[in-house]
Amino acid sequence: MIDLVGYGAFFLTTALIFSLITLGLNLQWGLTGLFNVGLAGFVAIGAYTSALLTTPDDPARLGGLGLPIVIGWLGAMFVGGVAAALTGIATLRLRSDYLAITTFGVAVVVQLVALNAQKLTGGPFGIGFIPRPFGGLAETPLLFNLSNLAIVSAVTLAAFLALERLTRSPWGRVLKALREDERAAISLGKSARFYRVQAFAVGGAIMALAGALQAHFIGFIAPDNYLSILTFQVWVMLIVGGSGSNAGAIAGSVLVWAIWAGSGALTSVLFAPEQQARAASLQIVAIGVMLCVILLARPNGIFGERPRRALFGKRTKVTASESGS
Amino acid sequence: MNETVLDVSDLEAGYEPGVPIVRGASITVNKGEIVVVLGPNGAGKSSLIKAIAGLVPISRGKVLLDGKDITAAPAHTMVRLGLAFVPQTENVFPRMSVEDNLKVACGILERRQAPARIEEMYAAFPDLLRQRRTPAGNLSGGQRQMLAVARALIVHPKVLVLDEPSAGLSPKFVSMVFEMLSDIRKSGVTILLVEQNAKAALAIGDRAYVLVEGKERHEGAASTLWDDPVIAELYLGQRPLRKDSARHTETGGAA
Amino acid sequence: MNLQFVVDGLLTGSMIGLGAIGVTLTYSILRFSNFAHGDFMAWGTYATLAVVGAIAAMFGKVAPIAPLSFGWPLIVALIVGAAFTALLALLLDKVLFSRLRKQEQAIIAVMGSFGASMALRSLLEFIFTSRPTYFSRAIQIAMPVGFGIRITPDQIALLILTAALVLGVHLLTTRTQTGRSMQAMSQNPALARIAGIDVASVVRVTWVIGAALACVAGVMIGVLVQIRPLMGFDMLLPMFAAAILGGIGSIPGAVLGGLIIGLAEAGAVQLIGAEWRAAVSFIILMAVLIVRPIGLFGVRER
Repeated sequence: MIDLVGYGAFFLTTALIFSLITLGLNLQWGLTGLFNVGLAGFVAIGAYTSALLTTPDDPARLGGLGLPIVIGWLGAMFVGGVAAALTGIATLRLRSDYLAITTFGVAVVVQLVALNAQKLTGGPFGIGFIPRPFGGLAETPLLFNLSNLAIVSAVTLAAFLALERLTRSPWGRVLKALREDERAAISLGKSARFYRVQAFAVGGAIMALAGALQAHFIGFIAPDNYLSILTFQVWVMLIVGGSGSNAGAIAGSVLVWAIWAGSGALTSVLFAPEQQARAASLQIVAIGVMLCVILLARPNGIFGERPRRALFGKRTKVTASESGS
Repeated sequence: MNETVLDVSDLEAGYEPGVPIVRGASITVNKGEIVVVLGPNGAGKSSLIKAIAGLVPISRGKVLLDGKDITAAPAHTMVRLGLAFVPQTENVFPRMSVEDNLKVACGILERRQAPARIEEMYAAFPDLLRQRRTPAGNLSGGQRQMLAVARALIVHPKVLVLDEPSAGLSPKFVSMVFEMLSDIRKSGVTILLVEQNAKAALAIGDRAYVLVEGKERHEGAASTLWDDPVIAELYLGQRPLRKDSARHTETGGAA
Repeated sequence: MNLQFVVDGLLTGSMIGLGAIGVTLTYSILRFSNFAHGDFMAWGTYATLAVVGAIAAMFGKVAPIAPLSFGWPLIVALIVGAAFTALLALLLDKVLFSRLRKQEQAIIAVMGSFGASMALRSLLEFIFTSRPTYFSRAIQIAMPVGFGIRITPDQIALLILTAALVLGVHLLTTRTQTGRSMQAMSQNPALARIAGIDVASVVRVTWVIGAALACVAGVMIGVLVQIRPLMGFDMLLPMFAAAILGGIGSIPGAVLGGLIIGLAEAGAVQLIGAEWRAAVSFIILMAVLIVRPIGLFGVRER
């Protein structure tokens, strides 16, 4: 029974960390229409930044400043936000595909740095001994898991409430209006671009914060945690939950993570150990097909805004006032 | 004698379902005629001919070309059916040479016919011959309009449909374009056009329709239409000169 | 600096360039960046590998053609593989991309291609596992050609093949009615329809050319390096960078972009080390986006 509660807490903590990433993506894509296929890179930036700031000094590596965890988290948000802002500044005056390609490139490069800049990132072995909040409770796993869950819940809730406020603010309404008409957004020039850069940066900061939370929750990070499969999972979570809805982003994350963890557990029961890698690929195939099917049937997600009809030539403009209602 | 080439009856069309812009318009174009569609801004003139050309979804009504039903045929099949359309703007491929613009339109001709047909177009539009290697995007407005018309004519259409061929052109080019259309008609091509420049269009046209709120409100010979007070009221939005006529239209509930 | 990097760069550049042709055509004619293009590469390579295996099973061991490491089976298999890849692309367009392209936001198609990419790649891993494999394990002797450069017969053959394919595609797109129709579609799809161009057939030709060339590029990687399910995905960033560097829509641009990136990568491998190779594409991509987003031969979008 206690095991079950402990596992439940562990599961929810992971799911809520995913929720936090999805919330960041929802701000970028759901609200602003900015396509980020390199979000794993921004999560990694957060995780590594916080790890470098908070881990104890290590002669094999740069960094290891031993700062308090909170400083690590703030630092993660700052660096993640700056990285996203730079990406946005470079590409947001161009067609949206360029942002997609660039974010993809960011993820590739972050992966490369994580693997190869041994002095900074520890290379393929990653960074260990990342301080955990309530590390003193590690003796009693249940209490430890529950306290972690409490912290992650609190951060996710805070992010959720802040984003809800932002969505309903004039700032959010401008973003939504710009989303509806990309050409207008580009031609409106600097001011419109600035709004979108802001949204992209805040989204990147939230993703980086999620990466930092996870790093401190697990205590160990390695480049393998931030492959494109992570980007893919989060996209499925957002699409299932319904882009544009913060509550949907959280619900979608928990649901998809439950399916993911459940099917993972199932394959480990059903398949012999040597077949498990193959079975895991099949799991990804299934999720990939699911993403495509949802895009075809309900492009705004299962719980999302009702799909606007695809029309022949002209577009229906959803006015900014709609978001306020 | 008056052989109908294009017969549009009770056409309803619009970009969005349930929001028709063309509301039950009926027009006919006879062989060898130039027919002009006039009307105030937003009357649905452009949408009407785009619907005929298969570019705007049709929700009701029929379009017959030489007696054959072409209602809502896909736009790319229209040239094969005998209807060639010249859009108002962006009517050439800007980064292709003049010659390639003509060649690309020859897809429905027999392969061996194409070079001769292109030469015929050059003979009719010597300006294009001189600029045959120039990217179409570098042509002047008038030359671009010529190229667009040549591109449409190259496939021997039964009817040539033009959306405001004089829009955006300087006065010199406007008269040139209308002269060109007049010449094309003399060579036996039937023409349907939408125009803002009513005076110039009526000067070369045989008949004209006035479209108001998506429906034709008036039809007449081009030569007499200009003097018709109803036109002044409907199209130019001016008060008619005679008072009794004004009362008549008000009680008649026009527009 | 050792001039060997020129040969290595031209070879890598050929692979990138052939792939980038498909990327640039899809972008300019179908109007979305296809993240599954790399996986067409990998699928084509595995299909070719499967056909090579089938031929070996039917005809036994076939001697390679004099100095090359492969014989006629690989050439036949490449043609079959390219046809298979083209069919795969057409199928994917029918069930997925054609529907997503109709939706309001073009980026939905990009997202769909991202999902398809993940599924295709993982399906390959499921069928063939992620272990690398090879067309031939024979080691070729590289011949010295002066200036300290060495080159193998396979490498020469593949460079010639690339040049022939690029020339062929260039002539096809500039001198034939099909090619003019493709240009017309990329410049103004609405006017293309009005001019009587059958959009559906242009779309089909675009997929067939892009997918077939991706297959050839993949087989080149297979012959010269190795075959892995991730091989195409790893080429995605260089291909996008090459297409953008050359100017979206330009086939000579895509090839030139590919060669520049290939040479830059090979140079970087010599100077900094192989592990940083992938960063080269990103740096070039960012430089192009900041300095000249329309690329070398590109044109400003309306």
